[in-house]
Amino acid sequence: MAANQETAAAVKNVEQYKYGFVTDIESDMAPKGLSEDIVRFISAKKGEPEWMLEWRLKAYRYWLTLADEEPTWAKLIYPKIDYQASYYYAAPKQKLASMDEVDPKLLETYKKLGIPLAEQAILAGVAVDAVFDSVSVATTYKKKLEEMGVIFKPISEAVHSHPELVKKYLGSVVPYTDNFYATLNCAVFTDGSFVYIPKGLRCPMELSTYFRINEKNTGQFERTLIVADEGSYVSYLEGCTAPQRDENQLHAAVVELIALDDAEIKYSTVQNWYPGDADGRGGIYNFVTKRGACRGKNSKIMWTQVETGSAITWKYPSCILQGDNSVGEFYSVAITNNRQQADTGTKMIHLGANTRSKIISKGISAGHADNTYRGLVRIGAKADKSRNYTQCDSLLIGDKCGAHTVPYIESRNPSAVTEHEATTSKISDDQLFYCLQRGMTQEEAVSLIVNGFCKEVLQTLPMEFAVEAQKLVSISLEGSVG
Amino acid sequence: MALLEIKNLHASVAGKEILKGVTLALEPGEVHAIMGPNGTGKSTLSNVIAGREGYEVTKGQVLLDGEDVLAMAADERARAGIFLAFQYPVEIPGVTTSAFLKTALNAKRRAAGEKEIDAMEFMKLVKKKTEALGMPYDMIKRALNVGFSGGEKKRAEVLQMTMLEPRVAILDETDSGLDIDALRVVSDGVNSLRAPDRAFLVITHYQRLLDYIVPDHVHVLANGRIAASGGKELALELEAEGYAKYLNAAA
Amino acid sequence: MKPSLITDHPFGEAYAKHLGVAPWRGDLPGPKVEEWRFTPLRSLAKIAFAPASEDVDVDAIPRNVPRIPGAVRLVLVNGVYRQDLSGTGLGKGVEVFQGKVAAKQGSSLVALNAAYAPASLALHVTAAAKKVIHIISIGAAGSQPTAFHPRINVTAEPGSAITLVESHVGLPGETYFSNPVATIAVGEGASVRRYVSVDEDSEAFHLATSLVTVAGGGNYEAFHLGLGGALTRQEIRIALTGENANVRLNGAYALRGASHHDFTTVMDHAMPHCTSSQVFKGVVDGESHGVYQGRIHVARLAQKTDARQEHKALFLSRGPAIDCKPELEIYADDVQCAHGAATGEIDENHMFYLESRGIDPETARALLVEGFLADAVNEISVEAVRDQFVADIGNWLKRRGAQ
Repeated sequence: MAANQETAAAVKNVEQYKYGFVTDIESDMAPKGLSEDIVRFISAKKGEPEWMLEWRLKAYRYWLTLADEEPTWAKLIYPKIDYQASYYYAAPKQKLASMDEVDPKLLETYKKLGIPLAEQAILAGVAVDAVFDSVSVATTYKKKLEEMGVIFKPISEAVHSHPELVKKYLGSVVPYTDNFYATLNCAVFTDGSFVYIPKGLRCPMELSTYFRINEKNTGQFERTLIVADEGSYVSYLEGCTAPQRDENQLHAAVVELIALDDAEIKYSTVQNWYPGDADGRGGIYNFVTKRGACRGKNSKIMWTQVETGSAITWKYPSCILQGDNSVGEFYSVAITNNRQQADTGTKMIHLGANTRSKIISKGISAGHADNTYRGLVRIGAKADKSRNYTQCDSLLIGDKCGAHTVPYIESRNPSAVTEHEATTSKISDDQLFYCLQRGMTQEEAVSLIVNGFCKEVLQTLPMEFAVEAQKLVSISLEGSVG
Repeated sequence: MALLEIKNLHASVAGKEILKGVTLALEPGEVHAIMGPNGTGKSTLSNVIAGREGYEVTKGQVLLDGEDVLAMAADERARAGIFLAFQYPVEIPGVTTSAFLKTALNAKRRAAGEKEIDAMEFMKLVKKKTEALGMPYDMIKRALNVGFSGGEKKRAEVLQMTMLEPRVAILDETDSGLDIDALRVVSDGVNSLRAPDRAFLVITHYQRLLDYIVPDHVHVLANGRIAASGGKELALELEAEGYAKYLNAAA
Repeated sequence: MKPSLITDHPFGEAYAKHLGVAPWRGDLPGPKVEEWRFTPLRSLAKIAFAPASEDVDVDAIPRNVPRIPGAVRLVLVNGVYRQDLSGTGLGKGVEVFQGKVAAKQGSSLVALNAAYAPASLALHVTAAAKKVIHIISIGAAGSQPTAFHPRINVTAEPGSAITLVESHVGLPGETYFSNPVATIAVGEGASVRRYVSVDEDSEAFHLATSLVTVAGGGNYEAFHLGLGGALTRQEIRIALTGENANVRLNGAYALRGASHHDFTTVMDHAMPHCTSSQVFKGVVDGESHGVYQGRIHVARLAQKTDARQEHKALFLSRGPAIDCKPELEIYADDVQCAHGAATGEIDENHMFYLESRGIDPETARALLVEGFLADAVNEISVEAVRDQFVADIGNWLKRRGAQ
């Protein structure tokens, strides 16, 4: 097999490789900053084949030319990031010795969310010796999936085990030249998931629900690649409703989805990274490039996101609707409180005929936060009879926050129909009083009304996720009224 | 001690005095009707008791079992047992009637130090109550009041009342916009709740409702004051003669 | 130099020398400037525009300029006020004079106008004006590409009222570039109605800026029609600076050939209790390009704002492009703000319905297009003007039929 030879050759290359700097490969942490040597170090650490390293280097060299191209168009204010002040490779974080060392505030949130104790420990980064039931359950399912031909493994492993698939699809939706953060990710990503669903298979379980525990700790530059072959279906859940213990400042992940003929991918995210404190100190900068290509006819990609965390969110999960009759959907809830800022939305690029897209966005802004929906609907000249429907609603809680809607609609086809509606309002006094009159507290009332406002989005989440997400909506808005 | 006592209540809206000294006492088990022409403060009275913002009480007292109601926040009043059936119930998109009811019910239970109701128990309870009111059970799966007809909204108010079992229920023009059948259903629901330890304050413009919910006492509210009080025959008299003499007398 | 600017343009030293004034030191916005992303000025910047030559002779108002019943006509030729072509008998409530051009900083085009506008046509409205004022701006290039910079300045004193109509037209000849700036101050409780029609020559450039302020209790009602020109932009920036101000801004465009038309609006709600509404509709044919960008900005202070905005565009053929960017920027919570946007083509069911009643396809189409644009045009509250604009659109459609 050509692929096997390639792998063998690549392994040889790695062995031959000489490191250009003093830190040797056994060390747990690369020196601070970014250079070609760091890129080589990461690649070597992962034992990557030469082609992978070359790709990383191409990306890195290109990134150097983008020094002036760091995006500034988003409605986000933050100090300039010093990319030489970060560590780009570090071994997994130090585990805490016991639950007693965990921030009690974090534990309280876990309790409110109803997260089982065992999972709490893992989320909080406590060293755990015992094998939890859920983990062994995961192993069982993993085996079953393998038998069905599903490939689901860390991308660092897939590079070795399935180089032909990775080579074919990696960077095919988000090329290494795509944008400042995506290019950076190409150069320095440490790990992430690789999923391949074989032809005609309807993956019988939500991927990552059972795995979320093992699949964590992929670091700040995550890379996910999901390929759904002809006629297959998969539902993938990313993230976790509980807040993550993570002190990394910058996250620049890339997610690529590829749906071939008649395939369907459902990708759900609940993002609750550390948002910083009430005064805006700390918190994650979340610069994420997520894009799906509906490459085949009748294919479908559906993004659902519930974004409640991070100090800064810059994220536009998009769909390129290439195949005729393909469908793209985007459902989003973005909540910002205190000093959080979010600039998030989607792009729906209609290229094929009879393609359809739907965008439902619910933005909630409280405290001193700013929340922007930014979206693009582009109808190409060949996208006959295509349809887009967009609904963006914003809710303001308090008079110190902002809510903004910036849609771009570009149509080049007469037979296509686009429809966009947006509203901005606050929770009405009448609604609030009605709830209070029935005995609810102010916070209960707000939580109830906001959850109702978000319902269309939340109900697209898988059941157990939806319940947690609802609770998260309430928790995120704590302290916003009073 | 009266269950609900209103003493010399003065209240204004945007600086304009609407209530000019209302005094009223509801004993447990009683139904009081307040009648009066439009714009005399009937809705103001119900909103002030329930604690809506924008109403300023300038003088007087409202006591529930001797407790100062005016010192409580709106939700505290509700949990203490004051229920207002709204003239215009609001629509809350995305929030199902059942989620709403469960939240309200648990808020009350928690305040009373009781255990929260579980999903099964709640469903059973709702089923029982909707059946008793002749309402389709499916209604509670719909978003609260969204797309409800006038009659459905009022029935939903009565359903909430039967679920929350208030001490004092205030019905603000519950009859407005109802046809005779809906009126009968709503009234039956209210009558089924009449109990020795509960009182009702029925605010209405027309005597019609009082054929179904028969009051123990009828009061005429005119120009922000109780201009006359009597038995149920007073309602019939008002129906026949109108309010003119009370308005003139008060002016 | 920032790459987002066009520094190489014909409005520098040589241009200023012709006029004997200090040169404009600015640059034109390039495609990387967000507000100009859909309307490139590269082609404009490449043409060797010179100031209008004095020997261009215009001695009459072109016949295609509509006559608004009872209106007084004020005429600008290449941006210069021509008393000889203008009417008299303004009646009570308004004075007209030639004023100075304030060198106020603004966008590139406003600064360009300020640098080279000869004088402003100033209207001072002191009471409820008796007559409609009809301003006619005529472009006449003669034998060389010509640029000119009309400046209109309207000050409506508190409690006053006026109705303005503006027609922007051109005479055959070389290409021209009209760069008009209108500043309109609506005083407290004053009422200004303004109806602008841009029907420039098919080779002409027209980049207009309207800067409007509306004081407390003031009313501003405007309608902008775009029917022609190679590249036209009507940028309308309105600031509601006092409480209870009320703005109704509407517009329509109908494009064919290679016409490019851009409506850019900025509605700035600075104070509480104001309302604004916008309805824009467009039809595009041939290879034309329609643009609508509208931003509603609601300041922290502007509670109880009610602001709405709508843009709908209809394709009449395969080939045109529509770009739309409605934008909400909201910093106050107790507000009602909404926008809607849609693109599509004529509903086949509607066509079929009309045809099944014996109406030929061309007529049916014209009826449906007129009906589509009517939503916006019907917002014009002055009947005579409304009728005239409806007729202008009707003529545009007839021209299509004749093609």
